[in-house]
Amino acid sequence: MSGEDRRRTVRRSAGELESEVLATLWATNQALTPAEIQREIGGGLAYNTVHTILKRLYDKGLVLRDVDGRRGAYGPVKNAAELTAEAMRQALDRGPDPIATLQQFVTGLSPDEEQALRDFLAGGAP
Amino acid sequence: MRVDVYLPLVLALLLAAVTPHVGRRISPALAARALTTAAVLTSAASTWALVLLGATLIDEDPSVASEAREGGRHLPEPVPDAIAIASLVVLGVIVYRVCRALRSHQASRRALRGLCDGHPPDSELIVAASPIPRAFAIPGSPGRILVTASMLSALGPAERRVLLAHERAHLTHRHSVLSTAVGLAAAANPLLVPVRSTVTFLLERWADEDAAGVVGDRRVTAHALARAALVSQRTRSRCTLHFSEHAVARRIAALQALPPPRLWPIAVAVLGLGAVPALGAVDATGDLLHLLAGPLLG
Repeated sequence: MSGEDRRRTVRRSAGELESEVLATLWATNQALTPAEIQREIGGGLAYNTVHTILKRLYDKGLVLRDVDGRRGAYGPVKNAAELTAEAMRQALDRGPDPIATLQQFVTGLSPDEEQALRDFLAGGAP
Repeated sequence: MRVDVYLPLVLALLLAAVTPHVGRRISPALAARALTTAAVLTSAASTWALVLLGATLIDEDPSVASEAREGGRHLPEPVPDAIAIASLVVLGVIVYRVCRALRSHQASRRALRGLCDGHPPDSELIVAASPIPRAFAIPGSPGRILVTASMLSALGPAERRVLLAHERAHLTHRHSVLSTAVGLAAAANPLLVPVRSTVTFLLERWADEDAAGVVGDRRVTAHALARAALVSQRTRSRCTLHFSEHAVARRIAALQALPPPRLWPIAVAVLGLGAVPALGAVDATGDLLHLLAGPLLG
């Protein structure tokens, strides 16, 4: 890891790191220990930092400890996320889509563009 | 008065015509701000111009007319009645369109607040356990980032960082304010609809550039966009394609090039395009007041 990477990691605020750890737990879809989270995130996040962030997420009721019978492994709390998914589905069904008026991360693709993007991703994984 | 009052209508067309060129050539942050400001000024001026044209009907008011006749004065007729009446009709349509835009804006805010229910108020990220891959920023104080679980699991660690940085950029730079402003401007003056489309695109480009800066890698940023677009495509029905059809591909192409420069002269020229109709409208107001006040005050 280069020195620049390290500086970039240090600059990230506690709130941003919480988002990143939570996103990681949701993305992997299995219980992870702090060391596994540290490896998954990369970018020079210290073990102690990961531990502190997990504690904060636990205090907020966003993650569970000792999940899937693994001591020290963390997993995301699902209740609120399921409620939000349901609220989102209802909002989409009701139409006109209130989310469509927002800035969305990505929008639709034409068939040609779809193929071009597949080639782009296949062509040069960094 | 005659020239000034029609000026905002013509310049709105000119602004819409130059918009795509501005959007392509200069940094998205600068272009989005300049175009939004110019669009708001132009639409305010064109709406006011219609009010002025309609106000010339005051000449016809019986009390004004009879008073003038008694004084042996002739009232000027700066604008044909047909145009004045047409202006009032168009004004009615504008009021309807702006109200409709405001209502849909409020409905969407309500729906979004509902999505935050049950999540701690001091957590930035809200995850929805949904199989539909989606990600968007929820404006407010504090703003939140909503991402579905299926979107998160489709991306690699660095790509998730891009996604979070992109949505965070929307919140820190208050993109919702610009987007609402240009939306209302386009509602009040439909000639500005192309400006709204361009600004919507530029806000995404702005957030992309911000994310690329945070992650420090334009290629990873482009990859994150491509992967998110492909995974979203699986659940997106074909009929939802609209003006932004080529938006993702264009954003990815832009990330593979150098970041566009901040060319202030172009931004200033765009702001000038907005300022001219506004000044024209102010001048026309003075002319109308003068025309009406002259005969009345003798």
